[in-house]
Amino acid sequence: MAENPDLPFIPARMLNEYVYCPRLGYLMWVQGEFAHSADTVDGKLKHRRVDKESRQRLPEAPDDEETIHARSVGLSSALLGITAKIDLVEGEGEVVRPVDYKRGKRPHVAGGVYAPERVQLCAQGLLLREHGFQVDEGFIYFVESRERVGVPFNGELIDETLAAIDGFRESASIGEIPPPLEDSPKCPRCSLVGICLPDEVRFLSHAGTEPRPIYPHTENGLPLYVQSPRAYVRKAGDTLVVEVEKEKVAAARYGETSQVVLFGNSSLTTPALHECLAREIPVTWLSYGGWFMGHTVGTGHRNVETRTVQYRASFDEEACLKLARRLVAGKIANSRTLLKRNWKGNVEEISPTLDALRRDLRNAFRMRTLDTLLGIEGTAAGRYFENFSGMFKRDENEKIPFDLTTRNRRPPRDPVNAMLSFAYAMLTREWTVTLAAVGLDPYRGFYHQARFGRPALSLDMMEPFRPLIADSTVLMAINNGEVQPDDFIHAAGSCNLSEKGRRSFIAAFERRMSQEVTHPIFRYRISYRRLFEVQARLLVRFLLGEIPNFPVFVTR
Amino acid sequence: MDHLYIVSYDISNAKRWRQLFKTMHGYGEWLQLSVFQCRLGRRRMIEMEAAIGDIVHHREDHVLILDLGPAENVKPHVHSIGKAFEPVRREAVIV
Repeated sequence: MAENPDLPFIPARMLNEYVYCPRLGYLMWVQGEFAHSADTVDGKLKHRRVDKESRQRLPEAPDDEETIHARSVGLSSALLGITAKIDLVEGEGEVVRPVDYKRGKRPHVAGGVYAPERVQLCAQGLLLREHGFQVDEGFIYFVESRERVGVPFNGELIDETLAAIDGFRESASIGEIPPPLEDSPKCPRCSLVGICLPDEVRFLSHAGTEPRPIYPHTENGLPLYVQSPRAYVRKAGDTLVVEVEKEKVAAARYGETSQVVLFGNSSLTTPALHECLAREIPVTWLSYGGWFMGHTVGTGHRNVETRTVQYRASFDEEACLKLARRLVAGKIANSRTLLKRNWKGNVEEISPTLDALRRDLRNAFRMRTLDTLLGIEGTAAGRYFENFSGMFKRDENEKIPFDLTTRNRRPPRDPVNAMLSFAYAMLTREWTVTLAAVGLDPYRGFYHQARFGRPALSLDMMEPFRPLIADSTVLMAINNGEVQPDDFIHAAGSCNLSEKGRRSFIAAFERRMSQEVTHPIFRYRISYRRLFEVQARLLVRFLLGEIPNFPVFVTR
Repeated sequence: MDHLYIVSYDISNAKRWRQLFKTMHGYGEWLQLSVFQCRLGRRRMIEMEAAIGDIVHHREDHVLILDLGPAENVKPHVHSIGKAFEPVRREAVIV
C-alpha cells in the first residue's frame, strides 16, 4: 500500500475533504492552504467543547467491563498510513464506538450522513480496530439539531475508505493537483474557492461556461496607515490604538485590518506586533518618504510547491520571456487606454501617439530577449509621459496647477514626479504583501531579474497596474484638487509630499483600490484590491501548469 | 455582504460588563452606554456571537443584536434626537 514511505500520515479529517473534493484535499493537506469562511469559523467555535481532552483517557489495551468515555483521542497507524483525532470514543470494555461532532443539522440523505463524513468516521473506526478494540459502528452527532446518526462499518464502507486513502496518497506522492470540480454546487460554499479558482481555471484551460461570481464575495479587511512621525501604535484588547504624544488619535479593529503600514519613525509595540503575527496581518515598514524597506510576516507561507514552481520557471529563459512580453504589453495597453480616455485636448493631437503605442504593443510580442523588451518598454513610457500632463484638468485661464515634462526620480524634482514615485512605492508594497500572502516569493521575478533588495516579482506583477492604479490616482488627486501646490516640500532640487499632502494622497490611493471593475475575461465585478489577489493566484495556477497562459489584466 | 447591527446589553455583574465592553470594541463602535453599532459580514457576526456567548451569564444577562440591514448604500431608518447618528463606515484608517 505505501509506495512512498516518507509521506506523512493522512489525517482522517483531510480524508473527509478529499472525498468531498479531491482538489480541496490536495490544497489543504499537500499544499497546506487554508482559509476561513463563516461556515468554518462556526464549525471551529462549535467544536471547542469536544476539542478539550477529557480526564478519562483511552485505555492502553482493552480492559474488562470498564465504561469508556474519552474525548479528543489521538490515534495513528503506520499500516494504514492515517492518523486521527477522534472527538469522542465511548463504549464498554472492548466494544467501543467513535463519535464525530459536526456543526449543522442532520442532512436528509440516504444513510443519514454524507459520504465524506462516513469515510472520516470509518477511518477512525479502523484506527480503533487496529488498537485492539471491537468497532462495528460509529456515530455522527449534529450539534444544531442535537441528533445522533449511526453509521455501520460494513464491507462496502470499509472498501470506500481504503480506496480514498490509496487515491489520496497517490495524488500526493506524484504531486499533481486534481482538476477542479465541474460546475459543482459544492464550490460556492467552499472556503477555499478563492484559492482553488475552480471556474476561472476551467474557463482558461478550455473555454467553457462563464465563471460564476463566487470568488468576489469573500470578506477581507482594510489597511491601517500610520505616517505621523510621532505615532505610537499599541494593542488594546481587540483593537490597535494609535497615539500621538500620549493622545489617542485613531483605532483600528484587528478583525478588520488587512495590513499595518508604518512610515518613518512611527513605532509599534511588541504585544501589538505579536497579535498581528498571530492573525497573519503583515506589517510593512517604510522610510519617512515612503520607500519600501521591508515587511514582517509570521513564519511564512506553508505552500512550498508554489515557491518551487516559481523558482523553476524563473531559471527558464523562455518561460521568463513569455511572461515578460505579456506583462509589458499589458502595461503599454493600459497606459494607452488611460491616455485615450483622459485626454483633455483635441483627438487629433493625441492620435499619432496612440497609434505609436499600439505599434509598441505589437512589437512587444515580437521581442526575443529581455533587453530588447526593456527597450520597447522605455520607448513606450517616453511617449506616454511626454503627453501625461495633457490629462490634467485646466482652469478657465487654460492653466494647470501642475506640469510634467519628463519623468525623473531619485530624487523626484517636481510635484508630479514626487506623486508618481510615491504611488509606485505604494503599489510595490501592495504587490509584495499580496504575493507573500499567496505563497510566492516577491524577490524572484521573471522580467525584472533578481537584484539585491529588489522585490522583482512585485515589480513584474505591478507593470500592468502602474497606469491603472498609480497614474490614475495621481490624475485623480490633481484633477479633483485633492492635493494642492502647497502640499509639497522642496529641498535641494528634490520634491516631496508633505505630511498633509501624503495623507490625502493615500486616501485617494485607497479609494482607487476599493473601486470595482468588471473583469474583462471573467465578466464579474471585483475591486482592485481583490483583483490583485486573483491575479496572484492565477499566476500560481499558470506556474503549476494548470492554465496555458497567464491572463494579464487589461481594461477596455 | 456587510450588515449594520446595533448591539445593546444588560449585564448584571460589573466584571462581566467591563469584559463585554472591552470585547465589543473589537467588533464595532461604541455608541452609547451599553450600546454599540457594528458593521459585520457573516463570518465576523458568528465570531462576535461566540465572543459574547463566552462572556455573558445566560440566565442573568441579556444581549440584543438588532440587524439594520445591508450596510452598503442603504440608509438605515434611525430617528436620532440630539446628536447625529452616523452609520459606521468601512474605510482605511490613515493617521
